[in-house]
Amino acid sequence: MTQRAQEIAQLDRVIHEPARLTIMLILYGVSEADFLYLQREGGFTQGNLSGHLAKLEEAGYVEIEKKFKGKVPLTVCRLTGKGEAAFAGYSQRMLGLLKPDGSAV
Amino acid sequence: MKDVTISYGRRAASYWFADGLPEMLFGLVLVIMAALMFLWHLYVPKRWIRLDLLIVVAGFTFYYLMERKILDFLKSQVTYPRTGYAQPPEEVPRRVQTLTTLSLRPDPPAKENVTSFQWRTVMLVFWFCYPFILNGNPLGRWAVPVLMPALAITLFAVNRRSERPYRWWSALILALAGLVFLWVDVPAPLQRPLPLLLAGGWLLAQGACTLVHYLRANPYPRTAEGVRV
Repeated sequence: MTQRAQEIAQLDRVIHEPARLTIMLILYGVSEADFLYLQREGGFTQGNLSGHLAKLEEAGYVEIEKKFKGKVPLTVCRLTGKGEAAFAGYSQRMLGLLKPDGSAV
Repeated sequence: MKDVTISYGRRAASYWFADGLPEMLFGLVLVIMAALMFLWHLYVPKRWIRLDLLIVVAGFTFYYLMERKILDFLKSQVTYPRTGYAQPPEEVPRRVQTLTTLSLRPDPPAKENVTSFQWRTVMLVFWFCYPFILNGNPLGRWAVPVLMPALAITLFAVNRRSERPYRWWSALILALAGLVFLWVDVPAPLQRPLPLLLAGGWLLAQGACTLVHYLRANPYPRTAEGVRV
């Protein structure tokens, strides 16, 4: 196995899944967003988004807070410190792998 | 390679303006200030000239202090139930002040969920109207026909690549609204507040159009958000 193949195998699989990567990207850009915003931005179904958020929460990457704005329930999601670090590491590694010489950015 | 995270941050910043409420609020504040100035000049025989300045300073101070609170309340009623909540964008100067000393890469910021509405629109309107507030009508008949097209061009050019760009035809309407006063005589009590009134009316109308379009595109959801995470 080449070094590059090893690095690919070591990618964070929790983030690497496209739907979860989209969620991480959105949350990295805004810090905080509710379920409906994530659903619209990512084009997810409700069940799909719930499932992926649960996995990200389980990994400790996302924090989910349920609250009310008036009478409207609001499920606010935000990246944790661990999530931000994991995402930064993932994007750096990914960008490095996509460079022709394979060097880290 | 383009950093894709920028797009989501910029989208969130643009999302803040998707409902037109920020423009409507600022436009309304300008119209109220203009109305107060007009009433003052109409009904008070001995005018204390500096009161104009006081009204404007009080109006802008109120706007700066209350803008986010009012918008947050309005958006929680109108926007968040329809299209969701995302963290409101920070104002660019505030962010630069707090982060430049800490960050190695302050420009461009890592997260682009930032807005420059206050200095690209609010401050521009203030400085363009300032000569009127201070000196009445500094260029006589030519003042409004010169000022409003200049303001329209500046707003269009400065905001062209911002998170809230103005359309060319919208800027043209503001410019034409100013040019009309080449042929229309303005009564004395209205001369001083006229630029504020035009700019405020323009922003209010533009915000209202955006809001109507937004409400049509996003009807209120029948059921509350049902989330099981």
